[in-house]
Amino acid sequence: MSRGNVFLAGLLWAVIALLVIYPLSILILESFKVFGTDSLGIINYVKFFQDSYYLKTFGNTLLLSALVLVTTTVFGIPLAYILARYRQRGKTVLTALTLLPIVLPAFAGVFAFVIFFGKYGTLNLLLMNAGLVKKPLNFIYGMHGLVFIQSLHMLPFIVLSLSAGFSMIDPSFEEAAEVEGASGFWRFITITLPLCAPTYLAGAVIVFLWPFTDWLTPLILGQSDFLPSVAYINIAYHFTDVQRKYMGIVAVVVSSVVCICLFLLARWWVEKRKYTGLSKGTTSEGRVIEPGIAIKSLSYVYMIFIALLVLLIPVVLGLSAFSRRWVFEPFPTYWTLENFRVILLETPLLVKNSFLFSGIALVFGVVFGLPAAYLIVRTKVPGKDALDFVITLMLAFPGMAVGVSYLLAFWETIPLAQYWIIMPLALFARRLPYFLRMAHSSYLQLDVSLEEAAEVSGAGKIRTFATISLPLLLKGVLVGVIMFFIMAFQEISTAIFLYRGGWETMPIGIYLNWHRGMEFGIAAAMAFLMIVITFILLLIVSRLSGGVLKAAWGSTAKQ
Amino acid sequence: MAFIEIKKLYKTFDKVEAISYIDLEIEEGELITLLGPSGCGKTTTLRCIAGLEKPEGGDIIIDGKSMIADGFVHSSKRGIGMVFQNYAVWPHMKVYTNVAYGLKLQKAPRHTIEQSVMDVLKLVGLAGLENRYPSQLSGGQQQRVALARALVRNPKVLLLDEPLSNLDAKLREELRFEIKSLVRRMGITSVYVTHDQAEAMVISDRVAVMFEGKIVQIGTPNDIYRKPINRFVADFIGTMNFMPAEMIEVAEDKSTAVVRTGFTDRLSCRITSDAALSKADNLFASLRPEDIEMFAEAPQGKENCYKGTITNRAYLGNLLFFFVDVSGVTIRVQASHLLLYEEGQDVYLHLNPDKCLLLL
Repeated sequence: MSRGNVFLAGLLWAVIALLVIYPLSILILESFKVFGTDSLGIINYVKFFQDSYYLKTFGNTLLLSALVLVTTTVFGIPLAYILARYRQRGKTVLTALTLLPIVLPAFAGVFAFVIFFGKYGTLNLLLMNAGLVKKPLNFIYGMHGLVFIQSLHMLPFIVLSLSAGFSMIDPSFEEAAEVEGASGFWRFITITLPLCAPTYLAGAVIVFLWPFTDWLTPLILGQSDFLPSVAYINIAYHFTDVQRKYMGIVAVVVSSVVCICLFLLARWWVEKRKYTGLSKGTTSEGRVIEPGIAIKSLSYVYMIFIALLVLLIPVVLGLSAFSRRWVFEPFPTYWTLENFRVILLETPLLVKNSFLFSGIALVFGVVFGLPAAYLIVRTKVPGKDALDFVITLMLAFPGMAVGVSYLLAFWETIPLAQYWIIMPLALFARRLPYFLRMAHSSYLQLDVSLEEAAEVSGAGKIRTFATISLPLLLKGVLVGVIMFFIMAFQEISTAIFLYRGGWETMPIGIYLNWHRGMEFGIAAAMAFLMIVITFILLLIVSRLSGGVLKAAWGSTAKQ
Repeated sequence: MAFIEIKKLYKTFDKVEAISYIDLEIEEGELITLLGPSGCGKTTTLRCIAGLEKPEGGDIIIDGKSMIADGFVHSSKRGIGMVFQNYAVWPHMKVYTNVAYGLKLQKAPRHTIEQSVMDVLKLVGLAGLENRYPSQLSGGQQQRVALARALVRNPKVLLLDEPLSNLDAKLREELRFEIKSLVRRMGITSVYVTHDQAEAMVISDRVAVMFEGKIVQIGTPNDIYRKPINRFVADFIGTMNFMPAEMIEVAEDKSTAVVRTGFTDRLSCRITSDAALSKADNLFASLRPEDIEMFAEAPQGKENCYKGTITNRAYLGNLLFFFVDVSGVTIRVQASHLLLYEEGQDVYLHLNPDKCLLLL
């Protein structure tokens, strides 16, 4: 065991201890504090679970998660099957559109649908103008709206995991079933779907966890009876009411515990049933089916339907961004670039902050992530797998947990939160897993003998890394870099707790804009700007990694 | 009428001909092997019989019923059993469920299914393992599960797609015999695909040698081995010495000929195919290594005897191969392990004219 490696491991662990373990411990500790005394107790938890209101919010969130999972699965199965099995024209475009929500900021969907489906939104106004309805229909304000919006946002995760599963199944499994007499449908139910279960689960976990971390969507829709929203309100707005503050903290911890447990459960279950590796297959390309005309047209219609729903988001936001005073009209009446002018010229601070913080977080990410990937893949230092595990676990934590824990942990004793550096640090801590995943798999693909050849020729570890490893890893690393940046750029749940005047990022700006009820056009313009930037970055990613599908899946898979 | 008739079968993949108008008749109860190198079309032909590939032309008739010409019959409706190369044993189901899958679809009563599954598991030697998952079984056991599954419904036809190629040599040999005796016992018409000619020889009633989408020769293993129709078949099965030859004269009854080779002006050969008569060049005098006798001194009264020098020796334990240089032509001779000749030694080879074939 080389000294250098052990030292490196120590260094990395120190960073993780400071930025992950310490704050989360403080969070948990805080939840056990008994107000008014210096002692610890479970009184907060008792109060939480005895309070019918909090229980209701917990139940609501569980219900929402279940409904969202069911909805995405029901709508996702046909979509994934079409993507994986049918050869359709225009499939690439439709695929990209279906997957778009992954990289749209979460709040983009809500805003767009409020504009379109809201009480006096486009659809209602059109219907009323046409005389089809007398009063506005409630399309989105309620559980149904939440399920709709969150399902659309999470649909790509299910579609990606299912279609990956479908294409990875050895065709002979299905052929054997057919030879045994199974019709297409029966074969699908008894063979295809069960074999996809492990990959499906990977996506299902992400989907189920989402309502436990999405505090903003319910608030925008005026539904606050959900765990993350309640936690946010309690902590951000009622911090003087200690009682409520502690309830909020408990809510955050409970959400985190639920998320972590499900995450670990799914991981364990998937590890146990690695089905795809079992068959000693000769071919590795998935089956392609030529469906009949009826099915073909139906699947086109279906894909277009989903694509249109997704397209609605950037289109509506775009319309709003380029207009002003779009109220009580189905479509904007007054077009202008004023919104963009305001953002970019008068208050460029938001844009600057977003890029600055995400950029710095990215630098942290790379500086930490590359050595970490090296350590995990190439060395046998004890504790390296634990390091991998802890970092991956960060994916499961609701953003609020990170934000609140940082607020508690870095206020007094280590006053990092008093300085703007806390913003990039938090972004780094939260999004690190995205980079590490990519760096990890890139390293796995790098044949160790290439590095060994360099060392035999006399190169030291650092030179080897710089001249051999890094250039070969570059492609994968770049993809990881861009995914990291995209995710850091859109981050809101952590940042919202840590920002102070002058540190706002674009997502925070959008939220504040909405919250203060100011000119909607500006918020929409910012959201639209974010979408454009994200889209450009994604194009670069797909160029580099040969496909959006692979890149997006690569960042969400292997949990 | 033959149990399976393949008529003018034609199949392409992306404009490449995989099967080129083949005709084949398979008798009831026989085990016929489609043998050939990779890409010859044997697996494609098998999959067409199964209904997993749709040919562009031709017909396949199983037990009097057409599978293509009267409307394409889907594989799930053909009542065949198939063993796949990678077993395709479903990993998420127990052995029992795997084997019972097809029976359950036939809506047979529960106790009938149970009985049939247990019987067939006993037949293939897996009794007692019905509650295991495939991941808990060895490769050979998984293969038996696949076999059991294919046999349990008493199919009219059994198709096997290189079922033993993923197993180690010893297991392969064992299972070869098992499959053969099983199929014999049950009397099921079987089509077997392999590229391993030894396997084909052991297991088959008849062999169809394929090359580039066409059937080159059909016959019993003995026919194929002893009377190959051309150089390709002779080369593919077993080892063969090929000596470039030039036709000198042909006998009246066209059964024998005399040729010139690199080491002699007169070598007597037999003619087994008319094709050899049609061409004067590109002929080969072909002889199996085991059909050549080797003597330390010139033998008396034998035709086709030539003197040569041993250049190499390969000891295989039960056999010896000697490589003998006869006037610049290297001939491979198989001899008993007791023959203690050395490299560099001069020997006399008797190239038996009855066994020497003239091939194109």
